[in-house]
Amino acid sequence: MRNALKLVAPLAIAVVVAGCATSGLKYSDAKGPAAASDPNLGRIYMYRTAIVGLAVQPEVKINGEVIGRATPKGYFYVDRPAGTYEITTTTEVERKLSLTLDKGQTRYVKLNISFGFFIGHVYPELIDTDAALKDIKDLQYTGQ
Amino acid sequence: MLVLTPTVLLAACAFDLAHVTQIPTQLRATADRSGFELQEEVKVNIGLGYTRVLKKGTRWLFVGRIAQGDVYRTNDQVLTLEASNIHEAYIVVSSGTLVGFYLPVEKSFSLLQETRSLPMKELPRQ
Repeated sequence: MRNALKLVAPLAIAVVVAGCATSGLKYSDAKGPAAASDPNLGRIYMYRTAIVGLAVQPEVKINGEVIGRATPKGYFYVDRPAGTYEITTTTEVERKLSLTLDKGQTRYVKLNISFGFFIGHVYPELIDTDAALKDIKDLQYTGQ
Repeated sequence: MLVLTPTVLLAACAFDLAHVTQIPTQLRATADRSGFELQEEVKVNIGLGYTRVLKKGTRWLFVGRIAQGDVYRTNDQVLTLEASNIHEAYIVVSSGTLVGFYLPVEKSFSLLQETRSLPMKELPRQ
């Protein structure tokens, strides 16, 4: 039994680590500006802190366009013109966040996980900047 | 199997049962007011077991009018309404009372069941 555990434990850890963002630049180490470099655009950060529900990593869409994936311990961002946006994630159900974006504004969207019937649900939530900066500082970049 | 199938279907539907009640409305953007600073924290029951706190000291800027009142937004905190989905919201004030929310993406009004008086200090006009 002990031998079996010795074999399984590292494998389990490897699986967990492989499912998380591990290679991208940490937010706190990123040299780039937090805001969009083009003053006509705003920036929306998307991030996920939770490792729970590791296997559930749905695509994240903005106004129907795929922009990334809800990777545990990861973040990415998109720059967009001022306007109104819907951010959606779909597992067994679709979850939606509607928000506005101004020129030069930076917004933060946390990808939370909740229980579902068969699999967990990932739902996007708009977060205050102060709280988001605490959440995101140790997360790693998963964008293109 | 026959028993399980409806159960699964019902359970799947139940995830999407809760919606924020909305009335389509038209915002008339005007600049005849400036805004106000909230003098005290105000806790608001938005229904479905969710509450929101309007923070003390937040500055709410006048955006325009809808039939239900004056619409204000702030950059000092995030405000959303929540059910199965989450919607960014502005506040709607009538005679110093918070009466509901304006959803800028959906362009709709959501009525607050328990209205709240807002301790406001007018901001000087720019």
